[in-house]
Amino acid sequence: MSVAPLLLLGLLALGAATGLGPRLPRVWLALTVAGTAALLAAAVVVLAGGADWEWRSGFAVGGEALHLRLDGISALFLGLLGTVGGLGAIYAREYWSDEQQPDSAPRGRRWWGSIILSMGFVLLSSNGLHFLIAWELFAVSSFFLITLERERREVRAAGWLYLAASHAGTLCLFAFFAALAARTGSWDLGPLRDRPDLAPLFWLAFAGFAVKAGLFPVHIWLPSAHANAPSHVSALLSGVTLKMGLYGLIRFGGWLPVPAAAGWIVMAVGAVSAVFGIAFALAQNDLKRLLAYCSVENVGIITVGIGGAMLGAAHGAAPWGRLLLAGALLHILNHGLFKSLLFFGAGSVLHATGTRELSRLGGLWRSMPWTAGLFAVGAAAICGLPPLNGFVSEWLIYLGLFGPAMSHHPAAWVAMPAALLLATAGALALATFLKAGAVVFLGAPRTQTAERAHESGLRMRAPMLALAAVCLAIGLAPSWLWPALARAVGTWNPAWVAGAPPPLLTLSLAQVGLAALFVAAGAILWRRARATGMRRALTWDCGYSRPTARMQYTGGSFAAIAAGWFSWLLQPARAQRRPHGPFPEGASRIERVPETVLERLVEPAAGGARRLARAARRLQHGRLQFYLLYLAAGLTALAILGLVEAMR
Amino acid sequence: MIAILPFALRLACWLLLAPLLPGIINRVKAWVAGRRGPPVLQLYYDLARLWQKSVVLSVLASPAFVAGPAVAWVALVAAAMLVPLGPAAGFPSFQGDVLLLVYLLALARFCIAWAALETGSAFEGMGAAREVSYAVLTEAALMTAILSLSVQTGSVTLNTMLAHSSGPGALLLAAGLFSVLLAENCRVPFDDPNTHLELTMIHEAMVLDHSGPPLAVVLHGAALKLLLFAVLLSEAVLPMGRLAPLAATAVLAAAVALVTVGVGLVESLLARFAFRRVPLLLTTAFLFCLFALLLAWKGGAP
Repeated sequence: MSVAPLLLLGLLALGAATGLGPRLPRVWLALTVAGTAALLAAAVVVLAGGADWEWRSGFAVGGEALHLRLDGISALFLGLLGTVGGLGAIYAREYWSDEQQPDSAPRGRRWWGSIILSMGFVLLSSNGLHFLIAWELFAVSSFFLITLERERREVRAAGWLYLAASHAGTLCLFAFFAALAARTGSWDLGPLRDRPDLAPLFWLAFAGFAVKAGLFPVHIWLPSAHANAPSHVSALLSGVTLKMGLYGLIRFGGWLPVPAAAGWIVMAVGAVSAVFGIAFALAQNDLKRLLAYCSVENVGIITVGIGGAMLGAAHGAAPWGRLLLAGALLHILNHGLFKSLLFFGAGSVLHATGTRELSRLGGLWRSMPWTAGLFAVGAAAICGLPPLNGFVSEWLIYLGLFGPAMSHHPAAWVAMPAALLLATAGALALATFLKAGAVVFLGAPRTQTAERAHESGLRMRAPMLALAAVCLAIGLAPSWLWPALARAVGTWNPAWVAGAPPPLLTLSLAQVGLAALFVAAGAILWRRARATGMRRALTWDCGYSRPTARMQYTGGSFAAIAAGWFSWLLQPARAQRRPHGPFPEGASRIERVPETVLERLVEPAAGGARRLARAARRLQHGRLQFYLLYLAAGLTALAILGLVEAMR
Repeated sequence: MIAILPFALRLACWLLLAPLLPGIINRVKAWVAGRRGPPVLQLYYDLARLWQKSVVLSVLASPAFVAGPAVAWVALVAAAMLVPLGPAAGFPSFQGDVLLLVYLLALARFCIAWAALETGSAFEGMGAAREVSYAVLTEAALMTAILSLSVQTGSVTLNTMLAHSSGPGALLLAAGLFSVLLAENCRVPFDDPNTHLELTMIHEAMVLDHSGPPLAVVLHGAALKLLLFAVLLSEAVLPMGRLAPLAATAVLAAAVALVTVGVGLVESLLARFAFRRVPLLLTTAFLFCLFALLLAWKGGAP
């Protein structure tokens, strides 16, 4: 099947879903699944070797003819959008059902269709003006999705922060596209690699897209928005919408020439983002906020790859440049999959217990075995552990980073520190996800709500199962994906079309072997343990026979050592009451990690802007005679200006 | 058939020789202290005994409590198989297999810590927290060492990287990797495997609740990891590729024995550090590796 009918089908189905969604939930689900499946199919057709698809309309929209294009890069993102969009819709039917959310569920369905449509248009559009329109629609749709639960104050605050940050980024993009159109004389977008005068515009695009991607330190909107949105929305936000920022970075980093310093700076920002993002994640006590900060880390990892690709392109170093870009693209896909899985898991926990606080959870594997197992798979995948998919993409990125080091290339001066920072971030991620998984699912329930949890239904489990299966499949057979990645890399830089692939086949054989051995060893040991006569007893607590759930190690204690190394960055706020007297009671210690960048940096700066605005407001006081005076003064000034011009 | 035989031999070497190392260390410690000490083969007896024993499972533990050690053990065996053993090249061997090694070690750590946290005990939580936190620094040091080898040899394949000597930075690299070995294997001065106070342990605190066959698997895995790091350290420093097969085997065996005796001596002569000094020591190890990397970089193209 060719691409155009599939895309048309997707457009019609999703458009109908947006229109009918609020009233007909079942039809909405069917239409959304059909539409996203069509998008996925279109992406697969292109990635599996079909030709690039391009279409120009005879009519004009907003003064410009529509120009749509689906090539290797946009197809990759479209595939991810289709997957997470469809699975999220299935998940939402149970998670955010009309029975439980009679007010916001219908609205949620409408905006779900709208955000998928607008993101699809962002990916397809090859016209600056339409790109901006779609970008804005997509930002507004995400705002309404984040604020579905708008009766809660923190949700509204998160929504407004998102809207403000997003528009600050969009402002840069307006400037970028306007300047681009002014210099090229057309809104049409496409490869313009032979125009070195366009290179400085890259910084505008980088600033604009970095806000959307959530790179440190412009991630300020991300944690609260992702934590406070409904979980299926968080999954889409983290899995796909962040990637729109990365899409812009990759797209325009490939189409337009970039300044010589771009690769260095992008890679450095990415590496710093990875370490700082995961340091913040480790210190969080809110499950969804932890996952949100971890997205900052993963976006950082991906950005390291993108920066490396720019460096490789600038220095004509194809062997490692293409590995880095392929790794970045694969990690985009992978992170979209396992982060959605983890947010779905967090949503199930929230649904079952009503809390995201780690210190109120625990022991959930007993009541929610499916969620626990699938969350563990997601956690292992995001830590980059073999034989899952996260390992493959991180392996590609490391392999690319080792390239300049091995060939004594000057780019090694940023690649080697980046590799070390990624290794540190990787080890911190392991600690973070052990903490998240263990405190939520293992041990004894810390509260009664955690004790009374229930497993979620099939509609919530099936999407998680599907995502975990894809994570495993990509991990076991990455060589199948290589042609698609190579094609996207070739789209990005035509000089990199050909070239020896990395030894993915050997890797995938090793991964399959490992997976088989893991299962076999686990089964053998379990059988052996059963054969020796297994019995249950209390956990060993130094001989203490009445341990309580409150005696377990908490998430805060677990993270304390490593988070302590970053206290200069995290600046945790502590409140403690020490025990006093021979019979102490009421001692407590509360530690909270603030949104350091937002609270210590952005808000004071915003305070200055607010004071300026307040001063300017004094001009507006409602006294007519003063307004007339302003008018007269303005006219006089204009007249003088005109006279001076005329005299020249 | 011809390919399988060396593979099986190497596997047997790893599996059978690993439990010897803790025995040697204990022998050295006993010798320094003037005691007679346990037999060198003590760990073999222990493993055989544990495999027969029955299992006591915490009431809170899920099946992953047993699966964790199994997966960790397989990961460690697989990591060991990637490393060449003297003249016998590692198999499977491919570009970037050294990264698989690093991630397999991480996987083993994840599984053991996950199993430890299954029990909901504060002691196991403490041990796991320390293990994964200090691993942040050891992983950075290990990655630096790998980078320096990779710069030195122009390769990311273990067989090539370990065949050459690590050049001018060999001594620095040896010092760095030796510290990493001590930290990763929870030896003095980072951790004391002999203490009976749960509060002060890392690795031993994590496996407090394991018993029977799962404990045997954990112990064998730990011995394997020690051997793996000893082999890595020896081969990173020595020019194994230039020696004849027989000589390489002998040199490797001697080097590993030397490292093991060194661990034993360190353990006899040093006390365990306070936990807040551990990061400082690990940072020193990282700096050793970093200077080795810089020396390798200055050394020019291979």
